[in-house]
Amino acid sequence: MNWNALLPELILSAGILVIFFLELILKEKYYKTLSLLGFITVVASAFSIFYVHYPATTLLGGFTVSGFSLLAKFILLAVTGLVLISSYDFFSNKDSVYSEIPYLYLIALLGFMFMLSSGNLAIIFVGLELASITMYILVGLLRREYLSKEGAYKYLVIGTAGTSMYVLGSALIYGSTGSLAVKSLGSKDPIFAFGVLFLIFALALKVSAVPFHFWTPDAYEGAPTPTTSFLATVPKIAFYFLLVKLTLYLFSALPSWKIIVAVVAIASMFYGNFMAYAQRSVKRLLAYSSIAHAGYFVLALTSVDLLLMSALLFYVVVYAVATLGAFTVLSVLEKKEGWSHHFLDFKGLFREHPYLSSALALFLFALIGIPPMAVFVGKLSIFMGLVKNDLLIFAIAFAVASIISAGYYLKVIVYMFLHPRERAMAPARVSAGESFTLMLTGVLILLLGIFPGFLMDWIRFTLFHE
Amino acid sequence: MEILLTVAIFLPLLWAGVISIIRNEWIAKGGAVAVSAVVFLISLVLFLNFDFSKEGFQFLTRVEWIPTLGISYQIGVDGMAISLILMTALLFLAVFIWSWRIEDRPVLYTALFLMLETACLGVFSALDFFLFYIFWEGMLIPMYFIIGFWGHDRKVYAANKFFIYTFFGSLFLLLGLASVIVYGYFQSGSITFDYLEHARMGYPLWLQTLAFLLFGIGFAVKIPMFPVHTWLPDAHVEAPTAGSVILAGVLLKMGTYGFVRYSLPMFPEASEYFVPLIFTLSVIAVIYAAMMAIAQNHIKRLIAYSSISHMGIVTLGTFALEHDALNGAVYMMIAHGLSSGALFFAAGFIYDRIHSYEMNNLGGLARYLPNFAIAFMIAGLAGIGLPGLAGFVAEFLVLLGTFKAHPVWAFIAGTGMILGAGYFLYMYKRTMLDEELVPEERRRKWSQLRDLEPHHILPFAMILTVAFILGIYPKPFVDIMSHTARLVLGG
Repeated sequence: MNWNALLPELILSAGILVIFFLELILKEKYYKTLSLLGFITVVASAFSIFYVHYPATTLLGGFTVSGFSLLAKFILLAVTGLVLISSYDFFSNKDSVYSEIPYLYLIALLGFMFMLSSGNLAIIFVGLELASITMYILVGLLRREYLSKEGAYKYLVIGTAGTSMYVLGSALIYGSTGSLAVKSLGSKDPIFAFGVLFLIFALALKVSAVPFHFWTPDAYEGAPTPTTSFLATVPKIAFYFLLVKLTLYLFSALPSWKIIVAVVAIASMFYGNFMAYAQRSVKRLLAYSSIAHAGYFVLALTSVDLLLMSALLFYVVVYAVATLGAFTVLSVLEKKEGWSHHFLDFKGLFREHPYLSSALALFLFALIGIPPMAVFVGKLSIFMGLVKNDLLIFAIAFAVASIISAGYYLKVIVYMFLHPRERAMAPARVSAGESFTLMLTGVLILLLGIFPGFLMDWIRFTLFHE
Repeated sequence: MEILLTVAIFLPLLWAGVISIIRNEWIAKGGAVAVSAVVFLISLVLFLNFDFSKEGFQFLTRVEWIPTLGISYQIGVDGMAISLILMTALLFLAVFIWSWRIEDRPVLYTALFLMLETACLGVFSALDFFLFYIFWEGMLIPMYFIIGFWGHDRKVYAANKFFIYTFFGSLFLLLGLASVIVYGYFQSGSITFDYLEHARMGYPLWLQTLAFLLFGIGFAVKIPMFPVHTWLPDAHVEAPTAGSVILAGVLLKMGTYGFVRYSLPMFPEASEYFVPLIFTLSVIAVIYAAMMAIAQNHIKRLIAYSSISHMGIVTLGTFALEHDALNGAVYMMIAHGLSSGALFFAAGFIYDRIHSYEMNNLGGLARYLPNFAIAFMIAGLAGIGLPGLAGFVAEFLVLLGTFKAHPVWAFIAGTGMILGAGYFLYMYKRTMLDEELVPEERRRKWSQLRDLEPHHILPFAMILTVAFILGIYPKPFVDIMSHTARLVLGG
């Protein structure tokens, strides 16, 4: 038994257990302490990653550690830590506070970390389910709000359909090849093809690509905003790291995978962008923007090219940073009395909250892809990667969709800066955790835009040694 | 010496960062004046050290930036770029001195202008597509907020219109850049954003045509050429004085700069092919905008239309594909930057004193504001091309060069310049003269007005002195600009 390979997961599990038992005694009153404890666990786990020796295998070959999965885990831990530390003030301000929240986030994170450290479809499933079930609970946490319940219910029903597709897919693959290993040799068997197809659909559902996106707007809107920022970032990163691995070894064994993935991708891009224009709630608008982004990301999976895939992963990470920042601003604003995320609430916000609205503008400009913010580099490298792979049509579709998307982000900025304030509200207080998250994401989005080489090289290096 | 260029570009941005932390009004303003003075001195030093007998770009700096995408930090200047940089630095110095009395959110105001200065200097010196595009877009956001925050009544409308037009244009520019980079990749097997490599590459005609149109739309919106000029009058009317000065003086030059720097050397055959189109649009702009200017009652709108008319002369000279005409076009960029800057300062001064831009509410000011009347007159004459001032040399060179190759076009454009004299003198008459038509009570009010103050005199003096120097002894400047003409047209 190689305990060293499991070090980050062990620390995280220990932290979860400690918080779990403390929560039984301390209850809501010590909610902030429990959150901080969760944050410390995450930091400790992230640090322990530097002490893991890789490559290594343990748990009878079911758990493998590579540079690639460690990098993914580190990024996941960092993002979850930021979500956690920016969430406590939000929940303390809501009257229905549940002190279980910190360890729920951590359990979902643990699920994703397991998911990424296995080459076996069954063990991936265990991690996936651990994370998914926790996220259903997280979405439905605001028990007294209808939207939260509705979102959670939709997410549960549709998410479960996805899970069952996943199981069915892996069962078919097992039936056809006799192995659950991701690095299978593939086969010409139609049953194998069906299996892969179901896997693609299941994962498309999890990353909210069209036509499996229906849960996304409702779950994003209904969830407490810190949970939305978790939902929009951590699972995205995890699933794309997984998808890159699956595409490399499994999907590419299916000849027609390109077409399926491309159709899903292009449909998501355009559907997400056009629907976003119809939204009146900024939170829902960002949900549609994440559908559109799912399209951009999946598009980069149409070719087995490690350079393109590392560009994709870079893009996912910087997208997550920008989205995390944007949702953190929204969660600060939601603490205001009578705030509803409706466009009208944003009118003239700059007069009331100059710093918060500037931060939101920064993140939205970043999401449009305006240089020098990091998302521009991500978009550019995906575009060039598609061109390199002779997928000029996809590259053009990607560019057009990106241009279409500029309008709705700008609309929010225009409302915030150039309209007079109509509804005066008491200003919201920004907690220390929230301002930390905002500062860090803001600096990161600029820094990674100006010096992207560091993260890009890191991703590429680990991917090539996977 | 090379490092000075980088310092000049990033010093304003650095100071913008510092004052956004310190947030003290007087440190911000004083520092901005000092920083822009330093930038001006640096660009003067570079200008004086520029060796115009040598071919190619000078003060080249190249640092690898994102090697996997072939992106590098590469800057350098030729004769046109160094002249524009010098003019930009001068106008920003003038603007910061002029804005000494600004009271509404002064720190943010100063910081935005400093960011704008970095972006403008960057556009004129970038020799890497990626870098160029960053600076090009980086100009958009500060200018948007300058119009949107410190503008007049319809500022939101004007700011949005400005943003939508220029953003739309720069998307085409982005597609154009992408198309040549993609072609370069297929040609050489490696991605490069290096302008110098692309300028040497030689594209096939189909790509030249496509890319010329894509780049051209991006630049045409910025210039602005007819028929995408409609954002400019609105933006100028609503923008604050300093914003108008920078918009007319520097930002419009980015488009024409782009034509000379990118379109002509990279797409020579397509440029030749599109000459009739560009000439038609230019001549329409020259004459139509001048006639529109005569019809205006609003001072700033009049100056805005005159800018469109003058920029038409620049595009005409650029696409005459002739040495003298190109020299004249570049000269016109500088001359127009100075004269329109001074004219917008004048309009801003009138608004400061009388709180109106409408000519109907003005008249007879010359008696009460004598110093201002002189400055206003010189600024206007520089714009309409009176011999001895910068505008004359520029118009003369453009017409001379164009006449050699295309006499008919030159003749038509020449009539536009007569109209130019018309609208300026008409405006001057209705604002500064016509004293007998002004009602008594308004004249009483006028007699209370204060003439130019030191922070007005200094900008006027700086700009108009340079306009005189350029008009009286143009030879060294023409030499420097023909450095670019040799680079672009060969020979």
